[in-house]
Amino acid sequence: MQAISRPPVERPAHVPPERVVDFDFFAPPGAGEDVQLAWKRLQDEGPDILWTPRNGGHWIATRAEDIREIQTNFQRFSHRVFTLPYDPQQTHVPLPLGVDPPVHTPYRRIIMPAFLPKVVNSVEAMVRELAAGLVADLAPRGECEFIEDFARKLPIAVFMKMVDLPYEDRETLLPWAEVVVRSPDQAKRREAQANMMGYLAKFVEARRASPGDDLISTVVHAQVADRPITNEETFSLLTLLLFGGLDTVASLLGFICRFMATHPEHRRDLIAHPELQKNALEELIRRHGISNTARYVTEDCELSGVALKAGELIQVPNSLFGLDERLNPDPLTVDFRREDVRHAAFGNGPHTCPGAVLARREIAVFLEEWLARIPEFELKPGSHPEMASGHVNGVTRLELVWDPATTRS
Amino acid sequence: MAKITYIEHDGTEHAIDVKTGLSVMEGAVKNNIPGIDADCGGACACATCHVYVDEAWLAKTGERTAMEESMLDFAEGVAENSRLSCQIRVTDDLDGLRVTMPESQH
Repeated sequence: MQAISRPPVERPAHVPPERVVDFDFFAPPGAGEDVQLAWKRLQDEGPDILWTPRNGGHWIATRAEDIREIQTNFQRFSHRVFTLPYDPQQTHVPLPLGVDPPVHTPYRRIIMPAFLPKVVNSVEAMVRELAAGLVADLAPRGECEFIEDFARKLPIAVFMKMVDLPYEDRETLLPWAEVVVRSPDQAKRREAQANMMGYLAKFVEARRASPGDDLISTVVHAQVADRPITNEETFSLLTLLLFGGLDTVASLLGFICRFMATHPEHRRDLIAHPELQKNALEELIRRHGISNTARYVTEDCELSGVALKAGELIQVPNSLFGLDERLNPDPLTVDFRREDVRHAAFGNGPHTCPGAVLARREIAVFLEEWLARIPEFELKPGSHPEMASGHVNGVTRLELVWDPATTRS
Repeated sequence: MAKITYIEHDGTEHAIDVKTGLSVMEGAVKNNIPGIDADCGGACACATCHVYVDEAWLAKTGERTAMEESMLDFAEGVAENSRLSCQIRVTDDLDGLRVTMPESQH
């Protein structure tokens, strides 16, 4: 990830010097090799709640107990600012993420029906067909760049169908999503959001006139509590929905595929014991959390003995919840037979990921369809997976090889 | 610890000791009780852990949260005593609790 210059800010007087750790979440040391491990080092070596002078100066909560408290106590830890650094020029409120209950609830209600289990069940056949087709094409090649060739195809094709946008447009949309979730440059992020709104305009217009059964039509014609949704709300909801749908599952797939490529015993175990899949999936998600959002402190308060001031920002790296040994013993070991897998990779509280059921289903389908056809694969010798941290952890490059003779059709 | 009786739609009863601190949903899932799907893993985001709380226990299980209320709109056959079991935290006070599952969670 490109590092732009972000000079550290001065420590405020109420922040004890022993709480200060110089940590830039856009470029944690070691993130290129294993981004969750890079965050884990911060949890191991720093105080439970620490303050970094980078990215405008903010707190980071590294332990499960505090992360849960921050994510659920929305009165004290508001979602009105959830990306770092704080951007005073960000004028539109991103919905539904930028508001708290009770204002938040009617917006979430609009999108929730599209992600309910019964809807996910109805799209599963399509997900499976897409996945099987992609893997069948790759298998005889003996190699691929997983991110471009699979991770950025399957979930995006599924999502583009749900919103009924042309699949070819992914080429236009993906670079904007990359900027929004992982660029430290606020001006670029605003520009990418504006581009997305511009792109959406003609579709919103068309579906206002003749709605279909897609998610954009649902939002365009939604009621917010008992009044029609406004134009501004429509664009805000859709923009966030698209960015959420475009990047997150791709990121998770990248991490999980890298793990499976480098852990043949786990891979063979799962192939031999398909009944482990549900637990294995949770364990893989626990080890590879992706979201690093922040909260706005609404009042002077104390959190686990640390004095926080109203107006400060505190970051909650979700990956650290499941990697906290106070919650999960031996947390860095991926154990498909672990009892009681605890993680918060989809958040806790009002802003819990609405797409969690769909995300899990897509990952399950990937594992089933991939392992059935390409059971043996590894990292391309001499290549290094590229990973990046940001608002969302991601894998940006993952080269794989396998012997086509070991594949099955 | 609390003894909770989970009653399937066909009347089959399962009496289980559930640890304090777990949710009523987790108590069922950990013990493979059929009838509670909990597709979202307890995040109040899927409405597939719907149960009917025995009338005698309504006061002790507490009020629905706003998010739960909103999610219950997406469940089938919702009644006055409907709850999402991922949102009921088990305490010693719930020893003896009885909940019934709907015919289907989808």
